[in-house]
Amino acid sequence: MAEFTEYFHFGTIALTTAINAIGVGLGQGITSKAAIEGMNQQPSAADDIRNTAILGMALIETAAVMGTFISVLLLLQTRNAVDSYYTSLATIGIAFAICCSGFVLGLVSAFPARAACIAVARQPFFSPHITRFMMISLSLLQTPIIFGFIVALFIHGQAATISTMRDALRLIASGMCIGLGSIGPAIGLAIFSAKSCEGIGKNRAAYGHIFSFTLIGQAIIETPIIFSLIVSVSLLFLVPGTGQEDLLDGIALFAAGLCTGIGTLGPGISSGRVAAAAVEQITQRPEAHGVLSRISMFAQGLIETAAIYAVLISFILLFYR
Amino acid sequence: MSGFDIVATDQWLLGPLFGIDHSFLRINKETVIHTWITLAVIAALLFLGRYFLSKKDSLGQFFTLNFISFFVDLINQTLTEFSMNHFIFVTTTFCFVLGCNVISLIPWMEEPTTDLNTTLALGLVSFFYTQWAAIQVYGLWEYIKGYFSPFFIMMPLNVVGKLATVVSISFRLFGNIFGGSIISSIYFQAIQGNFILEILGLATGVNLVITVFFGLFEGFLQAFVFGMLSLTYLSLALQGEGH
Repeated sequence: MAEFTEYFHFGTIALTTAINAIGVGLGQGITSKAAIEGMNQQPSAADDIRNTAILGMALIETAAVMGTFISVLLLLQTRNAVDSYYTSLATIGIAFAICCSGFVLGLVSAFPARAACIAVARQPFFSPHITRFMMISLSLLQTPIIFGFIVALFIHGQAATISTMRDALRLIASGMCIGLGSIGPAIGLAIFSAKSCEGIGKNRAAYGHIFSFTLIGQAIIETPIIFSLIVSVSLLFLVPGTGQEDLLDGIALFAAGLCTGIGTLGPGISSGRVAAAAVEQITQRPEAHGVLSRISMFAQGLIETAAIYAVLISFILLFYR
Repeated sequence: MSGFDIVATDQWLLGPLFGIDHSFLRINKETVIHTWITLAVIAALLFLGRYFLSKKDSLGQFFTLNFISFFVDLINQTLTEFSMNHFIFVTTTFCFVLGCNVISLIPWMEEPTTDLNTTLALGLVSFFYTQWAAIQVYGLWEYIKGYFSPFFIMMPLNVVGKLATVVSISFRLFGNIFGGSIISSIYFQAIQGNFILEILGLATGVNLVITVFFGLFEGFLQAFVFGMLSLTYLSLALQGEGH
């Protein structure tokens, strides 16, 4: 089994950096292209557009930095001589936690940055507000990778002590839950933030309303990520390692992680699209923002119920097996 | 990192006093003490605000009045008419959650909101206040009839939908504050004991960025979101979904 051990360990080290780098590279390319197009449209605003694009790309890079940090951490603590087969197997969980969220986030973070560059080209005199707005929404958009990072560190801390297939499956499930679970909400958040940036570029009189609606909307869209984090942390800390081999138990725990991970995909995306539609309407009619935001929040609350069902099934699988 | 606890071990046991042991009768010592300290800080700030109001044309009076008028505007915009009860409820909730979220800026303090019990209690308070306000407006019979609309069969869905708001509002607050506090504690553990890293963290301002972003910014944002969502659920319940 020795060769498998090394394969999983070094495979995770390579994947975490490589996949995050692909996502971030694509995202930064999209942002640069939008910035250059904006400069072409509005040459007098070239400086403002450049500032916005550079700040956006610096925030997009968070995913790559996190991936590299985890790779270096794993590489420095290579201990194959004492590692069991199961410890290496559990590092697949780290790969899922960092790669899924990092790749998607690097790619989709480009949408708000692109929209902000075009908005600055459209309204150069409003550029400080647009840039600040983009910074706030992009830094809130980085929540999934931060949570993935936390879970990856916890998995790394626990992996050294496990000795059964059940515990290996438990740690992989924890990583998959936060990794897969952050894909849908990340896409939803990006669609919504991009529409908000675009809206400010179109109608700057609506800035105040769009700003407060964006903070609330993003908090609602990211709720499925919080559910994934809670299921992940429950898998790590509330389901104790028994030290006995029980494969069926391990599969039940794996299913619990997968259930929330996949169950949040749809609610995340559609919640983002609902909020994006609302922000588009607020752009056109700022005076009707009260009604629009209330209806949007009501619809998002209904959509979120689907994610809550998935979490409920996960908790039943976790605690009433 | 591997020894991180999310279940509090330091508890006051009330159960044995009455000869029974149940998880409802255990009290998390740290959470309760930190909540009391938070309440003391908020009360002190309130008395300061009162004192400022008596001084004409001072900076303190300006800030206090601005704070109050911000919430009055918020209520006026979200609910169609101003109501003193709702104003008091939303402002109190916001101040308490904000105090709980940013109390970790004081050394040796932990946010009470990193305990799921606190956030669940806040969510339940918000939920029951909303239901009580709805009953006040519509009367008990109309309120119960609301559960059976539009059809009789929709009753379970309506109940689940109502309960889902409690789960989502409290888990959202808990998850965000909990994640932020873990990140900052991991960071400060990592640089602790290494002289070069501590100096680097202080000199480059990474310490400051982590504290301000995860402590102050995230705390303020989540408190605002919590208050705003309570207000939105309230306005939904008062104006009705189909009325």
